[in-house]
Formats: sequence, C-alpha cells, structure tokens
Amino acid sequence: MLKTSHAKTRSALLTSIALTCGVSVALAASAAGAQETVRIGAPLALTGGLADEGKKQELVYKMWEEKVNAAGGIEIDGQKHPVEIIEYDYQTDGPRAGQLAERLINEDDVHVLMSPFGSGHTKIAATVGQRYRIPTIACVASSESVYTQGNPYLFGTLSPNAHMTEAMVTYLKDKVPGLETVAVYGRDDVFPKSMAEATVKAAEDQGLEIVYNQLYAVGTMDHAAGISSIVAAEPDWIYVSGYTQDLIVIRRQLADLGAKAPIVTMVTGPAYVEFTEALGDLADGISSQTWWHHSVDYEGEGAWKTTDEFYQDFMEASGGQDPDYIHGSCAGALVMLEDVLKRAGSLDGEAIREALASTEITTFYGPIDFGENGMNQARDLPIIQVQGENIEVLYPESIATAEIKLLNE
Amino acid sequence: MDLGQVLANGIVLGALYACLAVGFSLVWGVLNVINMLHGSFIILGGYLTFFAWHLFGVHPLLMLPVVGALLFCLGYFLQAVFINKVVTAPVLTTLTLTFGLDMILYNFMTVYFSATPRQVTLDLGSIDLFGIYLPNERLLGMALALLLTGLLFVTMRSSSIGRAIVAVRMDRFAAALMGIKVNRIYAITFGIGALMAGTAGALFALVYPVTTNLTGIFLGKAFVVCVIGGLGSVPGALVGGLALGLIESISGVVFGPQHSLTVGFVVMLVLLVFRPTGLVGVKGYE
Amino acid sequence: MMSRLGLALFALWIVVLATTPFYADNSIVRTAIMLAMYSVLAFSWNFIGGFTGYPSFSTAAFFGLGSYAGAIAQTHGVPMGFAWVIATVFVAAFAAGLGMILLRLRGHYFAIGSIGVVEVCRLVVSSWSGVTGGGNGLNVPLLMWAPDTVGAFFLWVMLGLMVIAFALTAFVDNHRLGFGLKCIRQNEDAADMVGVNTTFYKVSAYILSAFLCGTAGAVYASWIGYIDPTDSFQILLTVKVPVMALLGGAGTVLGPAVGTAAFVVMEEFVWANFLNWNRAILGIIIVVLIFFLPGGLLKISYRRMINRLKGRESAGAPV
Repeated sequence: MLKTSHAKTRSALLTSIALTCGVSVALAASAAGAQETVRIGAPLALTGGLADEGKKQELVYKMWEEKVNAAGGIEIDGQKHPVEIIEYDYQTDGPRAGQLAERLINEDDVHVLMSPFGSGHTKIAATVGQRYRIPTIACVASSESVYTQGNPYLFGTLSPNAHMTEAMVTYLKDKVPGLETVAVYGRDDVFPKSMAEATVKAAEDQGLEIVYNQLYAVGTMDHAAGISSIVAAEPDWIYVSGYTQDLIVIRRQLADLGAKAPIVTMVTGPAYVEFTEALGDLADGISSQTWWHHSVDYEGEGAWKTTDEFYQDFMEASGGQDPDYIHGSCAGALVMLEDVLKRAGSLDGEAIREALASTEITTFYGPIDFGENGMNQARDLPIIQVQGENIEVLYPESIATAEIKLLNE
Repeated sequence: MDLGQVLANGIVLGALYACLAVGFSLVWGVLNVINMLHGSFIILGGYLTFFAWHLFGVHPLLMLPVVGALLFCLGYFLQAVFINKVVTAPVLTTLTLTFGLDMILYNFMTVYFSATPRQVTLDLGSIDLFGIYLPNERLLGMALALLLTGLLFVTMRSSSIGRAIVAVRMDRFAAALMGIKVNRIYAITFGIGALMAGTAGALFALVYPVTTNLTGIFLGKAFVVCVIGGLGSVPGALVGGLALGLIESISGVVFGPQHSLTVGFVVMLVLLVFRPTGLVGVKGYE
Repeated sequence: MMSRLGLALFALWIVVLATTPFYADNSIVRTAIMLAMYSVLAFSWNFIGGFTGYPSFSTAAFFGLGSYAGAIAQTHGVPMGFAWVIATVFVAAFAAGLGMILLRLRGHYFAIGSIGVVEVCRLVVSSWSGVTGGGNGLNVPLLMWAPDTVGAFFLWVMLGLMVIAFALTAFVDNHRLGFGLKCIRQNEDAADMVGVNTTFYKVSAYILSAFLCGTAGAVYASWIGYIDPTDSFQILLTVKVPVMALLGGAGTVLGPAVGTAAFVVMEEFVWANFLNWNRAILGIIIVVLIFFLPGGLLKISYRRMINRLKGRESAGAPV
C-alpha cells in the first residue's frame, strides 16, 4: 500500500511510534512464518524543480505495486510476499534525500531503495544505502561518474552514456555520407555534460571534425552568444544536451538565428512529450538518443511480459499519455527486482545485492546485465527522431520504424 | 564570428533585462527595500500570461495591461499591509520580511501552477538584416520593454504621483511635511515595482519558458542590473540592463558560454566596491 | 549578559543532543547533527550580523567553500581531520581578503555584495571542473564504520564545533572586541571618531563569522560523502541562518542556539505534516517573527507575560 500524504499528516512522533510497533509486529509475524511484506523505499522529488520527473517515477511505482499485489505478490522461497512501496517527497533538496533514505532504512525498515531522479541525488541516497548495506536501484541515473565510486550496493538500469553516443555517431556516418563537422553545446551539469563529452570523444574517434565545443552554465537564459558562434561555424551536425527547458529555448534560437545544419540532435528532448508540445512544428526533424522507447519490442517475465502489455497498462493509468524512458526504465527496474528477489531467496540486503550483481535477464524494457561498476551493459539503444506528428525509431535496425530525415532540405 | 550579431544579441537581451530590473531598482531607490519578491512577481506575470493564452486563447499583448493591473494591486496590498510597518527598519529586517513573503508566494505558485516550464509560442520568425538575424519575438519583447520603461520614465517625470514619488525618495520627512501621504506613496511605488516585474514576466514568457525554478535567477539578474546601472533611476536600470546584455553576449563569445554568467556577477562585485553608485547612479543612496 | 540559568539550560541542551545515539534512531541522530551544524552557522553569523549589525548573507559561501576545500583535500589523500583544518584556514583567509574589500560597503550594498559572493562562488566552483568536478559534484572518501558509529561520531564533532562557537561568542561578548563591535552597530562613524579601529574590528568579526562555517562545511562533506555546487551554495541557506539567529535574538549570546533549535524543530514538524505547504508555512513564520518577535525569543519579557497570565487567572478566580 502506498503511503500518501494523508498518511503523513500524523505527527512525526506518532508515526515513529506506530512504525516501531508495526516493525515489531512484522518481525513477530515473520518469525511465526507468515509472509513478510517486501518493503521498497523511494525518496521522490514530488515537489520542487524535479517534480515532473518524480511524478513519473511515482506513477509507474504505483502501477507495479498494484499489479504485483493483485497477482498475490512475489514468490520468494516458495511463499508469496506482498509488496509495499514507501515513498516520501524530498522536494528536490539533496540533503533531504539523504535524510529520507536514512529514515526509510531505520524507521520503515525497507529492504531495497529505489533512487531518486538525477545523478547527484542518486549519489546521496546510495551513499546512505551503502552505509547500511542496503542495495539501491537507480533507474534514472546514467552518468558513469555515479557508479565509479566503488559502491557495490548501487545498480543502475540505464546504460552508460558512451554506449549511446558511439552508436549514434556510427549510425549517422553510415546514413549521411557528407557528414564531416559537428558542433557540440552542452549544459554544465552531470548528465548533459557527460553526454556532450562522450559525443565529442566518439566523434573524434570516428574522424569527425569538432568545430565548436562549449558548455553553458546552469541558469543560462539566453543562448544567442553560443548559437551565433555555432551558426558561424556552419556545422553539418549540431549536438545539444540539456534539460527540456534549455532545449526548447535553444531550438527556437537556432531557428531565429538562422542555423542551417541538416542534423540537429537534442538529448533527450524528443523523448519527452513536453518538448514536442512546446515546440510544435519546430520539433520536426530533431533527433535524439534514448534508453527506451515504447515502440521497441522486447519480451520477458514479471508484471509486464511485453512492451506492448506495459504500454497498454500505462495508457490506461496515465489517461492517454505516452510513456517515456523514465517510465520504462523505472518499471523495468521493478520487474527486474521480481526476478532478483526470487533468486535471492530471502530479503536480506546482502543476498539481494548478490542476486542483483548476477542479474542477466531480458524484460519488457530490454536486456539488463550489470557490469563491474553496477551499470546496465546493454547496447544498441534506440535513436529516435520527430517526424511530423510522430516519434520514429531510426535505430537499431531490428525495431526501426523510419529512415532519418534531414533538416533544411 | 560577426561582431554585429554579437552586439545585436546583447542589445535585444539587454532591453529585456532593463525591463526586468527597473521595478526592483525603483523599490530599492524609493523605499530603501531589497525586494526579494521581485523574482516571483516576474514569474507570476509570466504564468498569468501563459495560462490566459493557453486556456482561453487570450493574446499575450492583450494580457499585458491585465497582468500589470493585477500585479499592481498585489504589490500595493503587500506594501500597505506588511512592508509599510517595517519600512524604516534596517535592511536585515525588510529583506528577511520580503524573503518570507516570497516563500509564501512561491509556494502558492508551485502548488497551483506546478514547476513545469511554460512558454507562449507565437512563432513570428526573424528578420535578416544584412546578415544579422533579429528574432521578431525578441524584437517585440524589446520594443515593449523599452516602451514600458519609457512610460515609467515619463510618469516619474511629469505626473503628480511621479513627482510625489521622487519627492519621497529625496526626503521622506520633508515630503511628509509638504502633505504627501508617504505610506500611500510607498504602496503605490511598490505596486509600480510589481507591475513592472509582472509585465516583464509576461514579455519573458514570449521568449523563454517560465517556471518557478527561475525566481532566484531573475532576482539575481535584477541585482546585477541595478548595481551596474545605479539605483533608483529609470535611466540607470536601462543602462544597467543593456550593459549586462552586452557583457553576457560578448563574454559568451570571448570566454565561452560557460563563463558568461560568472562575468556578469564579477562585474557587479567590482562595480559595487569601486563605484557603488553604478554607471549613471545618483549619489547618496549608498 | 548571560544568566547562570541560561548557561545551565544550554549545557543541558548539549547533553540532550549528544546522547541521542543512545536513545533514538539514526534519522533522529541525523536531525541532531543538522541542528548542531545550523547552530554553528548561526553562532558564526551572529558575530557580523548580530554584534556588528552588518546584514551579511555570505554564510552559504563560507559553508560551501569549506566543504569544497575539505573535500578536495580529502580526495587528494589528506587525512580527514587535517582536511578540516585546511578548510578552516582557507575559509578564514578567504573571509579576511573578502572582508577588506566588501566591508567598505554598508547597508543594502553590503547585503547585495554578500549575496553576490555566494553566487560567484557557485559559478566558479561549477565551471572550474578540473579541480572541483564541476556540475558532477565531488565524492569524498566514505567512513565505512557501522552506521551508528558514523552518526555518533559526526554528531559529537558538530557538537564540539557548536561548543567552540558558543565559547567564542561568550568570550567576544565580554571582551573589548565585542564592545567595539556593538559600538559599530550603534553608530559606525561615531565609533570611528572615538578611536575604535573600525576596519580591524569589522574584518575580525567577518573572519569570526566565517571560519567555523568552513569547518562545519568540511565536516558535512565528510559525513554526507558527496557535494555539488547547487546544494553547497544555496541562497536559501544564506537567508535561513540569519533568520535562525534573529528568531533567537541577534546579538545575544544564547540567541543563535535558541533560534536554531526552535527553527529546526518547527521546520521538521511543518515538513512532516504539511507536505505541500511547508515553504509557505515557513514564510508565515518569518513574517510573524518580523512583526511580533522583532527582538527574538530571548528578548520577550517572559516575566511580564507570566504576570499577565496570572493576573488574568486571579481576575477570574473570585467568581
């Protein structure tokens, strides 16, 4: 059962007393052989700067919880265990995320943490998890710097950024014969920065000329200076990374300032409905990489066995909005957790961690196989492009729905 | 890289900055209050414009006077009920009070409008002037910003209210002796400050997605513009705004976009220390 | 200035906080650590904002620089305790240099300048990625002791800092320095004229307001294990700390501790109970503070209040 806000209106003291009682009852019950609830802790950004992303996570968490409990729970060691996702709002405030992770582990006695959105907050929550030897699953943190800290309790379902950029450069070189120069313009922030850097590296490795390579500061409201320089460099390919809000402004200013590049990639703009809605016609032709798209077609086990099954359920739950990669990855992570818990055979943190480390399955979200650093090693991530009203998949070939369309032709 | 384009970018942006900061400057100059609510006023103006356009199809230009009137009332109310009570207290008190009020307003906006970025999309294209691109939406924003700032300038100069405001700024006691109701003038000034912030926000919604996450950034811009230009005068804000627009535009090309914001703040700190009256400021406010 | 009762209550308060690891769980201990940390910041701010009356909003800059200095030292292999010392010295030197420049300003200009410093620090730290990790943030080597031990350790370190900050406050209050600072608050020009070396006094107060913030920042970084520019240089923090000191009573010896305790307890309560409205409620608390408690909690005349209550009771009694 989800703890919603009314549940939190009790005073802190009452909550802790109630929880302490609850925990002891639960302990007594488990000793008596009844099925212990699988408790999953989720600090979420439901208000503040990352509220939109946090609500996406919350939506699929709820869907999964209902679906699994309707089926009687997860079978661990021959017994069905119901699941409970305990969520708190950390208000997009880093220190709060840490505080809540500590509270979830100590007071709510969770077995696993689902990390909040974004790389920075993931680090904070995962650090707390590591101290208590509780595994943290990150479904929306893709920067390798998050995973290179030797935290053996942190696992991420998104693949490293480099996997995306290499495939993108290879694909474009293959499909667009005249491609020679690229301009890279990235936001100076964990994820967008690492995407920009990975693209520069991949492009250099494959013989493209980098004609512009700059970062813009967080809080930049006007990109005319950077974009005028890019336009003057006349690149064949403009690669921009940032958050939706930045990308909307940059796309408009590119048009306003007369950019003529045939390929414009904005990561991860087209993966979000908000991007295409705000830009209208200007979104047409923008390409991006993404970790998941609902037109991919994978099969696996768990609450949702196929991508389509998830898509149908999601459309119902969201009132007709398409899911994006945040939804896909977070739902995929939970589906994976079903398998992990079965293999772990108990709810002990160490057992879950070991089962996580040896994961090698395919879910509706795609293949999940954690590498040494705890990141998903899957390759062949989709490249998408806005074409007219639709988002088309260009790559990988097995699931492609269209060929790339060049701009300004 | 075309110098003309860099300068044009800077001027277009600078006019918007000027409009954004002039209300803040006025309040600081007349009331001696650092108005921490300013950023939220701007966002509120932007949101009102967006929702009127998005939900009811009201054209942003038609909304401009409505937004101005609403924000004026809000500002008048806040000053008359709250800030007037402590307006003569040290800066720590007034700053903290407006910060507290800002937390309340901010919270209301996140609950009712959410933090989702919202932008009015008019798609007006751009003009190509001898190879210099001038986006029409920004030109429109700039023209309106200059018009509003000009209107304020004329009001301050030639209307009786404007002259009363100037009189209170120069010497509140003398003004009170002359029969000017100082508290009422304060409320009107604060209302005008909010009005200018709200209309600036409405103009910004044309070129930039507004979200409550931006309140701090807008407030920071107002700080910088006021210090660069000099306080309390409309021409000061205009000069400061244009200067900041040009500084950001030029340093974005020279040092790279990553550092253009830093340069703006550093210029502010340097001016603050060596020339606190700003480029065209009036002496006597430091 | 400070009554024996006040001192006894403060000692009791320290004991209550210090023993949380023995009777409460780790999330309460975490709150206690934050409380001690905010107390350090509020005590520090009190030197410049309370005693001297300068509206300084640079606390977040000192705190953030301290956490970065400590974290960078630690990632380069400097032992933890020594890294804290480095951070302290670095921030003190920074404050000395900055103070010489910034303290020439007064009133609003000083306020704006001190806020501007926070923003410049944030921007410089985020763009200087070679050293600071930029937007990626910085990981600090984690203490891999048992969670309970880690919590207790950092709690006691922060409480130690809090006691030092308090002792310094008490010392300055009774010392010539404190007297000079209060003169500056009353009338700087007059103080200058009667021979108070105002520049020296002001810069001293500024350094006092900074260096323990630096230590607290470094300790915080070691404890949390990860810092980034946005969380380290927060405008909210830079306003929250003066509000805490004001709530208790700016310029008093125990005010910062009282104010911080009241603020944090209120914040935790509001935050646990009014999820969507906590910011507005904190805003309302600030507004109420400004109008009804201008001198802070310590300046309320409790005796008169009790007498009034008693009076009311006795007025009702005869019936």
